[in-house]
Amino acid sequence: MYPRPIPQTARAARALYVALVAAILVVWLAPLLAIILTSLRATNDVASGNLWGWPTEFGAVDNYERVFTQSPMARFFLNSLMITIPAVIGVLVLSTLTGFVLAKYRFPGGRAVFAMFIGGNFLPAQIIMIPVRNLMLTLGIYDTHWALIIFHVAFQTGFATLFMRNFIAALPGELFEAARAEGASPFQTLRHVVIPLVRPALGALAILIFTFIWNDYFWAVVLVVNDTVKPVTAGLANLRGEFVSQWNILSAATVVVAVPPVVMFFLMQRHFISGLTAGAVKG
Amino acid sequence: MKSESSRAILSRRTLLKAGAGGLAASTLGGLAAPAIAQPKSITVINDQGNANAVAAFAKIAQDFKAQTGIDVVINNVAHEANKTAIRNYLVAGAPDICFWFSGNRMKAFVKRGLFDDISDLIQHENLSSPLAVTIGSVTVDGKQYGLPMGGTLWGNFYLKDVFEKNNLTPPTTWDETLAYVEKAKSAGLTPFALGTKELWPAAGLFDEFNLRINGLEKHLALMDGKMSYLDPSLTAVFDHWEQLIKGGAFLDNATSYGWQEAGAVLGQKKAGMMNLGNFLSYAIPDASKSSLTFAPFPKIADIGRFEDFSVDSVHIPANAKNKDLARQFLAFFYKPENLAAYLQPTGNISPRSDAPPSDDPLINQALESLKSVQGTSQYYDRDTDPDLAQVGLNGFQEFAAKPERRQQILESLEAARKRIFKA
Amino acid sequence: MGSMPALPTLIEGADMHDHWRRHREWLSPTLFILPGAAIFGVVIIWSALQSVWISLHDWDGMGPMTWVGLGNFEELFRDDNFYTSLKNNLIWLVVFMLAPPIGLAIALLVNQQIAGMRFLKSLFFVPLVLASVAVGVVFTWLYTPGIGLLAIIFSAFGATAPALLSDERLVTFAVVVAALWPQIAFCMVLYLAGLNGLSEDLIGAGRVDGARGWRMLRHVVLPQLSQVTFIAIAVTAIGALRSFDIVSVMTQGGPFGSSSVLAYMMYEQSIFSYRFGYGAAIATVLFAIMAVFIAWYLQSIYKAERGNG
Repeated sequence: MYPRPIPQTARAARALYVALVAAILVVWLAPLLAIILTSLRATNDVASGNLWGWPTEFGAVDNYERVFTQSPMARFFLNSLMITIPAVIGVLVLSTLTGFVLAKYRFPGGRAVFAMFIGGNFLPAQIIMIPVRNLMLTLGIYDTHWALIIFHVAFQTGFATLFMRNFIAALPGELFEAARAEGASPFQTLRHVVIPLVRPALGALAILIFTFIWNDYFWAVVLVVNDTVKPVTAGLANLRGEFVSQWNILSAATVVVAVPPVVMFFLMQRHFISGLTAGAVKG
Repeated sequence: MKSESSRAILSRRTLLKAGAGGLAASTLGGLAAPAIAQPKSITVINDQGNANAVAAFAKIAQDFKAQTGIDVVINNVAHEANKTAIRNYLVAGAPDICFWFSGNRMKAFVKRGLFDDISDLIQHENLSSPLAVTIGSVTVDGKQYGLPMGGTLWGNFYLKDVFEKNNLTPPTTWDETLAYVEKAKSAGLTPFALGTKELWPAAGLFDEFNLRINGLEKHLALMDGKMSYLDPSLTAVFDHWEQLIKGGAFLDNATSYGWQEAGAVLGQKKAGMMNLGNFLSYAIPDASKSSLTFAPFPKIADIGRFEDFSVDSVHIPANAKNKDLARQFLAFFYKPENLAAYLQPTGNISPRSDAPPSDDPLINQALESLKSVQGTSQYYDRDTDPDLAQVGLNGFQEFAAKPERRQQILESLEAARKRIFKA
Repeated sequence: MGSMPALPTLIEGADMHDHWRRHREWLSPTLFILPGAAIFGVVIIWSALQSVWISLHDWDGMGPMTWVGLGNFEELFRDDNFYTSLKNNLIWLVVFMLAPPIGLAIALLVNQQIAGMRFLKSLFFVPLVLASVAVGVVFTWLYTPGIGLLAIIFSAFGATAPALLSDERLVTFAVVVAALWPQIAFCMVLYLAGLNGLSEDLIGAGRVDGARGWRMLRHVVLPQLSQVTFIAIAVTAIGALRSFDIVSVMTQGGPFGSSSVLAYMMYEQSIFSYRFGYGAAIATVLFAIMAVFIAWYLQSIYKAERGNG
C-alpha cells in the first residue's frame, strides 16, 4: 500500500491521524454543513440576516414540512425515480453491449463508432435542445417520462460506453481466448465471461449515471412541463421562485434533493471503488 | 414593424373614468359547456412564484370545477424556467392556458402564430370598457391575443419608520435627490439599495432617467430602434445617473445581489430607498411590510410624468386542445372578484377598472399615483427587441458599476441596434 | 451499422471454417452494438449535426430559417464577448487542472486502513453527488458580501472580504473554485481506485531500494497511476470546456458578461436573444475546440493499448 500504512501498534498515531483527517473533512464539507445548518433555521432569523449566529429559534421541522406541503415535492420525487431508475438500467444494458463489442472486436468503422460515442458525450448539451425537442415531438413522447428516459439513456450511453469499453478492454485476454477455444459464441462469451466480470464496473457506473441523471435540470425544463412528469430538480427551481431568499427552506429542499444520490452512493460505495479500480488501473 | 396599437400611450384618466361606470361582471351563461361528452379538463401553466397567489389560483380552479364540472390541471413552472420552457411547449405540447408578458414579448409569439386570437372572448365578456386602459398591451393589429393581468408601477420605495426616524423626506426634484443622498449617507444608510445580478433592475433605472429627461415619445422611439444610442439627448440621462453613482448613492457591489437580496437590505433598514415595483414587498419582512410605501422617481426636466407600468398577461396558445373550455375558464378567472383574489398577494394592480377596492394600501397608493401619470411604457426588456434588450441589460449593469465605460457601452449598444433593426 | 461492409473479427483471430460460426461472429456483435449506437446516433449525433446546420442560418428558434452561410461565424470572430468567453474557458481549463493533484493529495491522505477511515473517506466523496445547481447556490451564498461565510472569516481578521462575484477580474476564479469542489472529489475517487490497484511487488521493491515519501511517489507510484492521471486530466479538461450550470446559477455570466463561458454565451444568445443560429455557431466552435481534446484522448487510448500489446 502507498502511503505506507500506519502500523496497527501505533495506536496514538492512528487516533491522531483520524482526528487530522476529520478536521480536514470539516473544512472540505463546510459549504455543505452550512446548508444543512441553514435548513434548521427559522424564517425570522433568516429574514433578519442572522445566517451564521446562534439561532433564536429552530425551524427544522417547519422547513422540511413546507418543502413537502407547499409544493408537490413528493410527486416530483416519485417522477425522478420513475425517470432515473429505468434510464440507469437502460444505460447499463446498452453500454455493456457496446463496450464489449468495441473492446473485443475489430471491424471497419469501429474506431469511428467509438469516436462518435466519445465526441457526442462531450457535446455542450444545451445546443441540441431544439432538435431533441422536435425529435421527442415526432416520437409523440414530449412531456412524458419517456422523453427524459430516452434522452438520458442516449446521452449517458456515450460516457458509459467509454467507461465499459475501457473496463472490458482491460480484462485478461486469456479468458476470451479460453472461451473461444471452447467454441463459445459471442453471446455465450458475453453471458459467461463478460457479465460476471463487469459487475463491479456496473456498480460504479450505476452510481455515476444515477447522480448525473438525478441532478439534471436543463432537460427537465426543456422536455417536460406537467407536474405529473416533472423531476425533483425542476421542483427545486420552482421552490427557488416561491421562497425567494428564504434560505432556510431552499436549503432544506436542497438537502432533500441530495438525499437519494447520497444514499445510493453509501449503499453501493464498496462496488464504487473496486469497480473503478479494475477499469482505471490497467490500461 | 411595430403597430402603434400595441403600444398605445395609456391614459390613467380613462382608467378611472371607466372605473366609475364600472360594468357588472359578466356571467358564464353564454359560454356554458354543452352537455355532450367532451374532454372535461384543461391544463394551465402558471409561472407565478408567489405561494399565496398560487393558492388563490388553485382555489379559483376549484370553484370553477364546482360550478362547471371542468377539471383545471395547474402546472407550476418557475418564473425563469418558464422563459425557456414556453418556447418549447407553445410549439410542442401546448397547454390550454399559459401566463406570459404583454407588449413586445407577447408580440414575438403572436407574430409566429403561437397565441390564439381571443377578441371574441373580450367582446363576449364586454371587457373592452373595463380594460380600456390596459387592452392596448395585448392588442396586435386590432385583435386581442391575451388578457392583461397584474400591473406593476415603478417607483422609489422606502420604509416610513426609517424615514421618520432619520428625519428624511422622499425627494421630488433633482436637487432634493442630491440632498437626500447626502443626508441618508450621514445617517449611515445606503441612499438607494440596488441589486443588478438579474440585470434588469439597472435597466429600470435607465428607464426612469430617460422618461424624466427625454419623455415618453423619445423613450419609445429609442425602444423601437428608431433612435441612436449615441444620440446627444441621452448624454444628460447618463450624466445624471453618473452623478448619483459617483456620489455613492447606490449599494456597493450591486452586481453581487439579486433584487430580493437588495430588497432585504432595505428591509433590514440599512438602506433608505429602492427603485422597483410593488412586488418588492415580497422581500420585506412581515413586521415592516405595513411601513413600506413609495414615491415617484423625482422630477428632472420640466416635462410631464411618465412611468414604467408593466403588465403581465394570460394567453390561450394557438395549439391548445380545448380552446372553448379555456375561454370558459378565463371568463371565470377574469371575474373582478376572482382576479382580485389572485392579484392581491402579488401586490400588483388589477387591469380592470371595475376591480373591487383593494385592502392593500400599496395597491391603492399606486392606483392613486397613476392618476397623475400622463403616459406609460412597460419596461426596458419588454419594450424593446429581446435581442437588443439582452445587450442593453448587460450594458446598463456595466454602466451602474463602471460609469467610466459609458462611451464603449453605448457604442456596443448602437452596433447591436443597427444589426437588429437593420438601421 | 446494418450495412457493415466487412466482417468484424475477434481481435485474437477468428475461426474461418465454420460458416454459421462465421456469420455468428459478426452478426451477434452487430446486434449487440446496434441498440446503443442507434439511440445515441439518432438522439445525440443527429441532433448535433442539425445544430451545425442551424449554425449556417439566421433563426429565432420558431419561425423559418434564413441561410446566411458563414455569416454567424464571421460575426462571432468579431464579437468581443466571444473572446471574453473564450478567455474564461481557458481560465477554467488552467484552474481546473488543480483538481487532479488535489484529488490525489486527498486520496493519499485517506488511503489508510484505520477504523472509521472508510466512513470519513465516503464523506469526502459527497460533493461529487450534489447537483451542480445546489453547489452553485451554496457558493453564491458563501461569497455574498456582508453575510456570507467568506465575509465572516475576513471580518474575524479585521478585513473586508472582496465582493468576488462583482469583481470582473476575480469573478471567474470564484466560480471555478466552486466548480472545482465536486471536480476534486471526482479526481480523488479515480485516484483512490488507482491506489487500490497498485502493485505491492513494485512498492515493496521500491522500499527495499530505500525509496520513500516523495521519491516513492514520483518514481514508483505515479508511473503506475499514469492511466488514472490521464483519465482525470481528460475528464477535467472536458468539464472545464463544458461548464455551464454553475455559471448559470452563480452569475449568469455577469457582471456584464465578464464571467461568461462559451457554453453559457451560446445559451444566452439562443434563449434570451432568440438567436439560435448564432448560438449554434458558438456551439460549433466550442465543439471544434473539444474535438482537439477528444482526438488526443482517443489517440492516447489506442496508443496505450498498442503499447500494452
